[in-house]
Amino acid sequence: MFTIGFDESGNVALAGRLDAAKAPEAQDFLDQVSGSCSLDLAALEYISSAGLGVLLRTHKRLMGGGEGLKMVNVSNHINDIFMYSGFDKLFDIEVAGNGSAG
Amino acid sequence: MKRKFSRSFDELARIVACTEEFFSDHGIDSSLRHVVDLCVEELFVNMVTYDTETDADILIEMAPHERGVEVSMTDYDVERFDPRSRGDVDIDAPLEQRTPGGLGLYLVLKMVDSIHYEYRDRNSRITFVAGRK
Repeated sequence: MFTIGFDESGNVALAGRLDAAKAPEAQDFLDQVSGSCSLDLAALEYISSAGLGVLLRTHKRLMGGGEGLKMVNVSNHINDIFMYSGFDKLFDIEVAGNGSAG
Repeated sequence: MKRKFSRSFDELARIVACTEEFFSDHGIDSSLRHVVDLCVEELFVNMVTYDTETDADILIEMAPHERGVEVSMTDYDVERFDPRSRGDVDIDAPLEQRTPGGLGLYLVLKMVDSIHYEYRDRNSRITFVAGRK
Protein backbone atom coordinates (compact mmCIF):
# COMPACT_ATOMS: atom_id res chain seq x y z
CA MET A 1 0.00 0.00 0.00
CA PHE A 2 1.18 3.51 -0.81
CA THR A 3 -0.40 6.91 -0.35
CA ILE A 4 0.71 10.46 -1.16
CA GLY A 5 -1.07 13.72 -0.43
CA PHE A 6 -0.91 17.07 1.33
CA ASP A 7 -1.17 17.05 5.11
CA GLU A 8 -2.67 19.80 7.28
CA SER A 9 0.73 21.56 7.45
CA GLY A 10 0.98 21.82 3.69
CA ASN A 11 3.73 19.20 3.54
CA VAL A 12 3.50 16.30 1.15
CA ALA A 13 3.06 13.14 3.22
CA LEU A 14 4.16 9.79 1.83
CA ALA A 15 3.10 6.55 3.51
CA GLY A 16 3.61 2.86 2.90
CA ARG A 17 5.83 1.32 0.24
CA LEU A 18 7.18 3.42 -2.62
CA ASP A 19 8.28 0.75 -5.09
CA ALA A 20 8.46 0.49 -8.88
CA ALA A 21 4.73 -0.22 -9.10
CA LYS A 22 3.83 2.93 -7.16
CA ALA A 23 6.53 5.28 -8.46
CA PRO A 24 4.38 6.57 -11.38
CA GLU A 25 1.64 7.57 -8.92
CA ALA A 26 4.17 9.47 -6.79
CA GLN A 27 5.70 11.11 -9.86
CA ASP A 28 2.29 12.22 -11.16
CA PHE A 29 1.55 13.86 -7.81
CA LEU A 30 4.93 15.53 -7.37
CA ASP A 31 4.87 16.82 -10.95
CA GLN A 32 2.05 19.13 -9.79
CA VAL A 33 4.13 20.59 -6.94
CA SER A 34 5.88 23.91 -7.39
CA GLY A 35 8.13 26.09 -5.25
CA SER A 36 9.71 24.85 -2.06
CA CYS A 37 8.32 21.54 -0.85
CA SER A 38 8.76 19.44 2.29
CA LEU A 39 8.13 15.73 2.15
CA ASP A 40 7.03 14.15 5.43
CA LEU A 41 8.38 10.60 5.35
CA ALA A 42 7.35 9.58 8.88
CA ALA A 43 5.05 6.85 7.55
CA LEU A 44 7.16 5.81 4.58
CA GLU A 45 8.14 2.19 5.26
CA TYR A 46 10.12 1.37 2.16
CA ILE A 47 11.69 3.01 -0.87
CA SER A 48 13.47 1.44 -3.83
CA SER A 49 15.51 3.03 -6.61
CA ALA A 50 12.29 3.73 -8.53
CA GLY A 51 11.14 5.91 -5.65
CA LEU A 52 14.56 7.51 -5.33
CA GLY A 53 14.31 8.38 -9.01
CA VAL A 54 11.01 10.17 -8.38
CA LEU A 55 12.60 12.24 -5.61
CA LEU A 56 15.67 13.02 -7.71
CA ARG A 57 13.69 14.11 -10.79
CA THR A 58 11.41 16.30 -8.69
CA HIS A 59 14.31 17.85 -6.79
CA LYS A 60 16.14 18.69 -10.02
CA ARG A 61 13.01 20.27 -11.50
CA LEU A 62 12.38 22.39 -8.41
CA MET A 63 16.05 23.34 -8.05
CA GLY A 64 15.84 24.71 -11.56
CA GLY A 65 13.56 27.36 -10.11
CA GLY A 66 15.80 27.95 -7.12
CA GLU A 67 13.72 25.80 -4.77
CA GLY A 68 13.91 22.10 -4.00
CA LEU A 69 12.70 19.19 -1.93
CA LYS A 70 13.33 18.84 1.78
CA MET A 71 12.75 15.54 3.53
CA VAL A 72 11.55 15.53 7.14
CA ASN A 73 10.79 12.83 9.73
CA VAL A 74 13.01 10.37 7.89
CA SER A 75 13.35 6.97 9.58
CA ASN A 76 16.81 5.52 10.17
CA HIS A 77 16.17 2.79 7.64
CA ILE A 78 15.10 5.19 4.89
CA ASN A 79 18.01 7.47 5.79
CA ASP A 80 20.39 4.53 5.32
CA ILE A 81 19.09 4.18 1.75
CA PHE A 82 19.54 7.92 1.19
CA MET A 83 23.12 7.73 2.43
CA TYR A 84 23.96 4.68 0.32
CA SER A 85 22.59 6.63 -2.66
CA GLY A 86 24.48 9.84 -1.91
CA PHE A 87 21.19 11.67 -1.40
CA ASP A 88 22.49 13.07 1.88
CA LYS A 89 24.76 15.26 -0.27
CA LEU A 90 21.91 16.45 -2.52
CA PHE A 91 18.93 16.98 -0.23
CA ASP A 92 18.16 18.72 3.03
CA ILE A 93 17.25 15.74 5.22
CA GLU A 94 15.88 15.74 8.77
CA VAL A 95 15.97 12.35 10.45
CA ALA A 96 13.06 11.66 12.80
CA GLY A 97 13.89 13.01 16.24
CA ASN A 98 17.43 14.02 15.29
CA GLY A 99 17.19 17.20 13.22
CA SER A 100 19.23 17.74 10.08
CA ALA A 101 21.26 14.85 8.68
CA GLY A 102 22.76 16.42 5.63
CA MET B 1 10.16 -20.59 -0.54
CA LYS B 2 10.14 -21.33 -4.23
CA ARG B 3 7.65 -19.48 -6.41
CA LYS B 4 7.25 -18.08 -9.89
CA PHE B 5 6.09 -14.58 -10.72
CA SER B 6 4.86 -13.11 -13.98
CA ARG B 7 6.78 -10.29 -15.60
CA SER B 8 4.85 -7.37 -14.18
CA PHE B 9 5.58 -4.71 -11.58
CA ASP B 10 2.14 -5.55 -10.20
CA GLU B 11 3.72 -8.76 -8.89
CA LEU B 12 5.85 -6.78 -6.41
CA ALA B 13 3.06 -6.83 -3.82
CA ARG B 14 2.80 -10.63 -4.06
CA ILE B 15 6.59 -10.97 -3.82
CA VAL B 16 6.57 -8.89 -0.63
CA ALA B 17 3.76 -11.02 0.81
CA CYS B 18 5.68 -14.23 0.01
CA THR B 19 8.84 -12.79 1.58
CA GLU B 20 6.95 -11.84 4.70
CA GLU B 21 5.53 -15.35 4.95
CA PHE B 22 9.00 -16.87 4.47
CA PHE B 23 10.53 -14.70 7.22
CA SER B 24 7.69 -15.57 9.58
CA ASP B 25 7.80 -19.30 8.86
CA HIS B 26 11.55 -19.49 9.48
CA GLY B 27 11.80 -16.98 12.32
CA ILE B 28 14.36 -14.88 10.44
CA ASP B 29 15.55 -11.56 11.86
CA SER B 30 13.07 -9.01 10.52
CA SER B 31 15.83 -6.38 10.30
CA LEU B 32 16.95 -8.18 7.12
CA ARG B 33 13.61 -7.56 5.43
CA HIS B 34 14.59 -4.14 4.12
CA VAL B 35 17.70 -5.48 2.40
CA VAL B 36 15.94 -8.54 0.99
CA ASP B 37 12.91 -6.57 -0.21
CA LEU B 38 15.04 -3.94 -1.89
CA CYS B 39 17.47 -6.36 -3.57
CA VAL B 40 14.70 -8.65 -4.80
CA GLU B 41 12.74 -5.72 -6.21
CA GLU B 42 15.74 -4.18 -7.94
CA LEU B 43 16.77 -7.45 -9.58
CA PHE B 44 13.18 -8.37 -10.49
CA VAL B 45 12.53 -4.93 -12.02
CA ASN B 46 15.78 -5.16 -13.93
CA MET B 47 14.78 -8.56 -15.38
CA VAL B 48 11.28 -7.36 -16.31
CA THR B 49 12.58 -4.14 -17.84
CA TYR B 50 15.52 -5.40 -19.85
CA ASP B 51 14.82 -9.09 -20.57
CA THR B 52 11.90 -8.34 -22.85
CA GLU B 53 12.45 -11.13 -25.38
CA THR B 54 10.81 -13.70 -23.13
CA ASP B 55 7.45 -14.01 -21.42
CA ALA B 56 8.54 -16.77 -19.05
CA ASP B 57 7.83 -16.37 -15.36
CA ILE B 58 10.70 -15.44 -13.03
CA LEU B 59 11.56 -17.96 -10.32
CA ILE B 60 12.38 -16.65 -6.83
CA GLU B 61 13.78 -18.99 -4.19
CA MET B 62 14.60 -18.15 -0.58
CA ALA B 63 16.31 -20.30 2.02
CA PRO B 64 17.67 -19.69 5.52
CA HIS B 65 21.44 -19.14 5.53
CA GLU B 66 23.92 -19.21 8.41
CA ARG B 67 24.36 -15.45 8.04
CA GLY B 68 20.72 -14.67 7.23
CA VAL B 69 18.94 -15.40 3.98
CA GLU B 70 20.01 -16.77 0.61
CA VAL B 71 17.92 -15.64 -2.37
CA SER B 72 18.11 -16.97 -5.91
CA MET B 73 16.33 -15.45 -8.89
CA THR B 74 16.18 -17.21 -12.24
CA ASP B 75 15.17 -15.64 -15.53
CA TYR B 76 14.57 -18.12 -18.38
CA ASP B 77 15.49 -17.88 -22.06
CA VAL B 78 17.30 -14.54 -21.86
CA GLU B 79 20.63 -13.02 -22.82
CA ARG B 80 23.50 -13.06 -20.33
CA PHE B 81 23.44 -10.21 -17.84
CA ASP B 82 25.82 -10.30 -14.91
CA PRO B 83 24.72 -7.62 -12.42
CA ARG B 84 28.21 -7.60 -10.91
CA SER B 85 29.48 -5.99 -14.12
CA ARG B 86 27.26 -2.94 -13.58
CA GLY B 87 26.41 -0.73 -10.69
CA ASP B 88 28.95 2.06 -11.14
CA VAL B 89 27.28 5.21 -9.87
CA ASP B 90 29.13 8.34 -8.80
CA ILE B 91 27.22 9.18 -5.63
CA ASP B 92 29.48 12.19 -5.10
CA ALA B 93 28.46 13.80 -8.40
CA PRO B 94 26.68 17.16 -8.18
CA LEU B 95 22.91 17.24 -8.60
CA GLU B 96 22.97 18.36 -12.22
CA GLN B 97 25.00 15.27 -13.14
CA ARG B 98 22.95 12.76 -11.16
CA THR B 99 20.42 10.53 -12.95
CA PRO B 100 18.27 7.74 -11.52
CA GLY B 101 19.78 5.19 -13.90
CA GLY B 102 21.91 2.44 -12.40
CA LEU B 103 21.08 3.22 -8.82
CA GLY B 104 19.14 -0.02 -8.26
CA LEU B 105 21.98 -2.40 -9.08
CA TYR B 106 24.40 -0.11 -7.25
CA LEU B 107 22.33 -0.47 -4.09
CA VAL B 108 22.12 -4.24 -4.50
CA LEU B 109 25.90 -4.58 -4.76
CA LYS B 110 26.35 -2.30 -1.75
CA MET B 111 23.85 -4.04 0.50
CA VAL B 112 24.33 -7.78 -0.05
CA ASP B 113 26.94 -9.86 1.75
CA SER B 114 27.76 -11.78 -1.39
CA ILE B 115 26.39 -12.20 -4.91
CA HIS B 116 26.92 -14.95 -7.46
CA TYR B 117 25.96 -15.15 -11.13
CA GLU B 118 25.42 -18.22 -13.30
CA TYR B 119 24.39 -18.35 -16.98
CA ARG B 120 23.60 -21.70 -18.52
CA ASP B 121 21.36 -22.79 -21.40
CA ARG B 122 20.09 -19.21 -21.76
CA ASN B 123 18.94 -19.21 -18.15
CA SER B 124 20.22 -16.37 -15.99
CA ARG B 125 20.49 -17.06 -12.27
CA ILE B 126 21.50 -14.55 -9.60
CA THR B 127 22.09 -15.69 -6.03
CA PHE B 128 22.77 -13.34 -3.14
CA VAL B 129 23.12 -13.60 0.62
CA ALA B 130 21.70 -10.92 2.89
CA GLY B 131 23.22 -11.20 6.33
CA ARG B 132 23.37 -9.54 9.70
CA LYS B 133 25.98 -6.81 9.84
